[in-house]
Amino acid sequence: MKEIVTIQVGDYANYIGSHFWNFQDELIGLAGDPQADSVFKNQDLNMDVLYRTGETHQGIDTYTPRLVSINMRGSLGSMSSRGTLYKEVAPTTSDVFTWTGSVSTQASEPREKNLFLRSLYEEESQNMVNEISGSHSGSPSEYEDKDITESLENGVQFWTDYSKVHFHPQSLYELNGVWTDVEEFDNYGIGRDSFSWASHGEEISDRLRFFVEECDHVQGFQFVVDDSGGFSSVGAEFLENIVDEYTNTPVLLYAARGSGSRASLQTRKRTILVELHDAISFSRLSSYSKLIVPVGLPSLGRASKFLHIEDEKHYHSSAVYAAALHSISLPFRMLPVGPTADACSVSGAVDFHGLIQMLSGQGRQNMVSILDVSMPTPALTGGQNEVSLLENFQPLTPMISEDGEDIHAIEHLTVHGAFASVEGRRATVCEVKDSLDAAFERANTRPMFHHLSVALCPLPIPLPFPSIFGNQVGKHGEMISSQLTNSSSKGSLDVHSIPMAARLRSSSAVLPLLENKLQNLHRYGITRGAAGAELLSSWGFGKEELVEMQEMLSKMVATLCPPQSSSDSD
Amino acid sequence: MSIRVLNPNAEVLNKSAALHMNINAAKGLQDVLKSNLGPKGTIKMLVGGSGDIKLTKDGNTLLKEMQIQNPTAIMIARTAVAQDDISGDGTTSTVLFIGELMKQSDRYIDEGMHPRVLVDGFEIAKRATLQFLEKFKTPVVMGDRPDIEMLKMVARTTVRTKLYEALADQLTNIIVDAILCIRKPEEAIDLFMVEIMHMRHKFDVDTRLVEGLVLDHGSRHPDMKRRAENCHILTCNVSLEYEKSEINSGFFYSNAEQREAMVIAERRQVDEKVKKIIELKRKVCSDNDSSFVVINQKGIDPPSLDMLAREGIIALRRAKRRNMERLVLACGGEAVNSVDDLTPESLGWAGLVYEHVLGEDKYTFVENVKNPFSCTILIKGPNDHTIAQIKDAVRDGLRAVKNTIEDESVVLGAGAFEVAARQHLINEVKKTVQGRAQLGVEAFADALLVVPKTLAENSGLDTQDVIIALTGEHDRGNIVGLNQNTGEPIDPQIEGIYDNYSVKRQIINSGPVIASQLLLVDEVIRAGRNMRKPT
Repeated sequence: MKEIVTIQVGDYANYIGSHFWNFQDELIGLAGDPQADSVFKNQDLNMDVLYRTGETHQGIDTYTPRLVSINMRGSLGSMSSRGTLYKEVAPTTSDVFTWTGSVSTQASEPREKNLFLRSLYEEESQNMVNEISGSHSGSPSEYEDKDITESLENGVQFWTDYSKVHFHPQSLYELNGVWTDVEEFDNYGIGRDSFSWASHGEEISDRLRFFVEECDHVQGFQFVVDDSGGFSSVGAEFLENIVDEYTNTPVLLYAARGSGSRASLQTRKRTILVELHDAISFSRLSSYSKLIVPVGLPSLGRASKFLHIEDEKHYHSSAVYAAALHSISLPFRMLPVGPTADACSVSGAVDFHGLIQMLSGQGRQNMVSILDVSMPTPALTGGQNEVSLLENFQPLTPMISEDGEDIHAIEHLTVHGAFASVEGRRATVCEVKDSLDAAFERANTRPMFHHLSVALCPLPIPLPFPSIFGNQVGKHGEMISSQLTNSSSKGSLDVHSIPMAARLRSSSAVLPLLENKLQNLHRYGITRGAAGAELLSSWGFGKEELVEMQEMLSKMVATLCPPQSSSDSD
Repeated sequence: MSIRVLNPNAEVLNKSAALHMNINAAKGLQDVLKSNLGPKGTIKMLVGGSGDIKLTKDGNTLLKEMQIQNPTAIMIARTAVAQDDISGDGTTSTVLFIGELMKQSDRYIDEGMHPRVLVDGFEIAKRATLQFLEKFKTPVVMGDRPDIEMLKMVARTTVRTKLYEALADQLTNIIVDAILCIRKPEEAIDLFMVEIMHMRHKFDVDTRLVEGLVLDHGSRHPDMKRRAENCHILTCNVSLEYEKSEINSGFFYSNAEQREAMVIAERRQVDEKVKKIIELKRKVCSDNDSSFVVINQKGIDPPSLDMLAREGIIALRRAKRRNMERLVLACGGEAVNSVDDLTPESLGWAGLVYEHVLGEDKYTFVENVKNPFSCTILIKGPNDHTIAQIKDAVRDGLRAVKNTIEDESVVLGAGAFEVAARQHLINEVKKTVQGRAQLGVEAFADALLVVPKTLAENSGLDTQDVIIALTGEHDRGNIVGLNQNTGEPIDPQIEGIYDNYSVKRQIINSGPVIASQLLLVDEVIRAGRNMRKPT
C-alpha cells in the first residue's frame, strides 16, 4: 500500500477538501451498508491510502483522513480545531490547574451549529445510546433531510458547516496572530508579511511529519492551495519545506481559487496588484512542485449544461472541483488486480510517481496540466443528442485556448460509474475501455499518448452536497429526456450518485495562461519603470529573483511553443 | 482639507481628535493587559466560538489571541510582540509603559502643552534612565561555574508570574538544570537544544527533566524491543526506503521479467544499505549485552524494518530534523549522511532506550547518556490548554536564564528599579533640564511608576499608600520593592526577586519611541473604513 498525505492550505482549498472528504466518507459508509447499491460493495479501492487508523486515549478505534489543513483563525466555524473524536479525558471544566490566583474568563458567543451538524451530532449520540441499550429501533430523527439541504443551500459560512467527516486533532491548524481581516489577506505580500515560517513553520511541519512517519511508503503529497490571496505565500513556504525534507516524494499541486472573487477591479492600482499576485504566486508555487494544476474558472456557469452553479457560493463551485479531484485520485488507490480482468471493477491503477512522470516527465517536460471534467458523464452509446464522452469534457483550468490542437498532448483519463447505454445499465470496465479506445481512434485530434483508468463505482452524492444538478439528471446520474417544466435544481435527495469522468492533460492549450503570467510579470514588475516594481520590492522580491522567475516562466512557455511560432509571438 | 478634494470619502481626524484617538487606544490596550502583571495577576481563560480553550497570563500570547482592529493598538501590539521576540519577556510591561506615557502626556497636552516639547523631555529622560540602569544593575559573574542560586532566582521571578508557586518552584530547578546542561563554555546558548515535549496524562500535572531525549514516535515493527540497555545510537539521514529514482529518468523494459529484474535491482540497493548498518551492529555489539538503535531522519520501509528487527536492532524513522542535532549533542557520535561513512566512532551511546505508549501516541526515551549537551523538558498535563500554558512558562523561564547568562547582570525586581529610576529623574535629572522639557522628564518619571502601581493594584492594595511608602524609603537611600502580600516595602535582594537586564533596557528603549511617534501624530487620514467605529 502506498499512502497519500493530503494538504489543504487556505480557505477555498478547505472548501474543496470538505467536499472531497465527504465523498470519501460516503464511499466508506456505502461499502458497509447492506442496503446500498452493489457497485459500492466491491469498489476495489483501498481507502487506507487516504485514511489512517488510530486509537483514542479511551481505546476507541478511529479512521481519519491523513490530512493537514491550514486556515485562518476563526475559519473553522463551530468545529473545534481538535476535531470531535479525540475527546479529552479530563472534563474540560473551568478548573485551572496552574494558577491559584484569580481567573477571568472571556468566552466568545458559542457558534451555533447549523441544522446539518446538529443532526449529525444527534445521530451519533443516538447510535451510542442504541449500542448500550442493545435496541436498534431507529427512532425517527426530528430533522427532515429536506430541511437540512435547504439550510445548507442558504447558509454555508464556513467549510466545516457541511463537513460530515471526523478529523484527527493533528489535522486542523489555525494560523494565529495574523492581524488582518480576511478580506485584506488577499495578496502574496500580505501573506508573506503576516505569516512567518519561523514561528509557525515548525509546528506545521511537525503536524505533517506526524502523518508521514506512520506511512510505510508515501507515494506523494496531494497539495491543494488557495492561490487567490495571502495563502499562496504560506503554501509556497510550506512546499519549499516539503521539497527540502521529503526530497524524492512527488507533490501534485492543485492551485485553486473560487469563482468571481476577482470581479471588483476598480482601479488600475488594484489591477496591477492582482495581476502581479497571480504571476508571482504561480511561479513561486510551480517552482516547488512536480506537477501543478491550476483550477478555478472565473465563472463555472458554463462548465456543464447539466449543472446549475451559483458562482458566488463557494459551497457550490468547490463541489465540482472536489468531484474532479476525487476522480483523478481514484487510480492512486485502486487495488492491484489479477489476470482475470473482466471480473474486477477497476483498471488502470497508477501511482503518483507514475502519473507525474507520464504527464510531465516525458518529452516536453511540461509541468502544468489542465484539469477537465465531465459531470455527469453521458452514457457510452445512444442518448438523444449523441454527445460522445470525449467531447463532453469541460475545462476547469482558466485561460486556456479552446482549440487544443496539439499533437504532443498527453492525457490521463479517469472514468468511473459510466453507463453503457441510456437505459441505465452500468458499463463494465472492458466496455468503457473499448468504447474509449474506439473514440480515440475516431477523433480528429488525437493526443500523442493517453492513459485510461476505469472504475465501476460512480461518484456518490452525500447529503450535504449542494443542489446543483439540472433536472435532466436522474437518480443515478443518467440523463432523463423528459423535460419537466419545473426548473429548480436537484440536490442530494434526488440524485444519489453520478457517473464521472475527469482528465488531466498536458497540452499546449495551457499556453495563454503561461504567457499571461509571463507578460504581467514582465510588464508590471521587471521593465524599467514598471508600475509594480515598488510593490514587489515591498513584498520582498529583489530584481534577480524576479528575473529568475521570468526565466523559469519563459522556459515553461518555450517547452510548449513549437519553435517556428515562438519568434512571432511577441 | 485638501484631502477632501482628492477623495471625498476620506475621513480626516485632526489635531486633538487624532491625538485622543491614539491616547485612548493606548489606554484601552493598557486596561486589557493590566490585570496580567505580576504574581498576583489574573489568569485569563479564553473560550473560542467552538469551545476551544486557551489559558494565558502572558501578555504576548494574549496580544496574539486578540483580534485587534484599531490601527494604533496594532502598532503598540507589534512593538510589544517585538519586545518578546528580542528578549523573551516584558510584553505586558511594554504595553503598560506606553499606555502610561500616553496617559501622563494627556494631562499636559490638555493644559495646552505642545507634544513636541514633551517628546524632547522623553528623549532626555530615556537617555538618563538608561545610564541609570547601567549603574543600578547588579553584575553577575558567570565564568566557568555560573552562580546557580542567582539563575534560580531570575527564573523563579519569571515563572512565578505565570504559574502558582509550588509548580513554579519545581519548574525553576528544571529550567536552570536544563540551561546548565546545554551550556558550553565560550558558545552562545542555543535554546533549541532543549526539547520541550508534552504528554496528555489524565489528572496529573507533572514536569520533569530528562537528561537525554524524548522522541514523539516509536519503532514501527512489532518484533522490535520496547526497552533496551547499553545502546549504541546511530543517528543517520539515509533513506532506507525503496524509492523510484528521479522523476526524469524512466524505467524502460520490454517484458515482465525485465521489469521484475529492474525492481529487484533497485530493491537490492536499499538492502545493501541496511546490510551495512547490520554489519556495523555486529561489529560493535559482539559482546551481546549491548543493543543497537538506529534513528533515521528519512523513511524506513517494512522490508528494511524486517531485516533490522531480525538482527535485534531498534529502528525509528522520520525523526525531526532538529532532533538529529540534539541526539548528537545528547549521545555523542555524529550524524551520518551515507552508509559509506559508517564507523564505530560515529555512534553515540545511551544507557537506556525505552518506549512509552499512550493511546496511539508513542514516545521513545533515550536516557542515561554521558555528558549530555541536550536535554528534554517533559510536561505532563491533563488537557491541551494546561500543557500549552506550562510550555509558555517554561519558554519564558529558559529565556530569562539565558538572558542572565548573556547579560552577566540582573536588575532588582518588585518595582525597585522603577521607583529608584523615578526618584533619580525627579531629584537629579529634572534640575539639569532647561525649560518646559522638564515636564516631559516628569511625565516620563511618573510613567515609570506604572509597574509598582499595577503590582499593587493587582494585589488589592491602595496604590497611593504603596507609592508613598516606596518613594519615601528610596529617598532615605534604601532600595526597596513591593511586598505583594502586605504592601510593605521589602528588599528584593533578600527576597531574591530579580529581573532581566536586557528586558528592562528594551522596555525603556522602545516604549518612549513608539509613544513619541503616536504623540506627534496630528492628523489621521483614512479613506474607506469608518475609524470612529468602536472596536
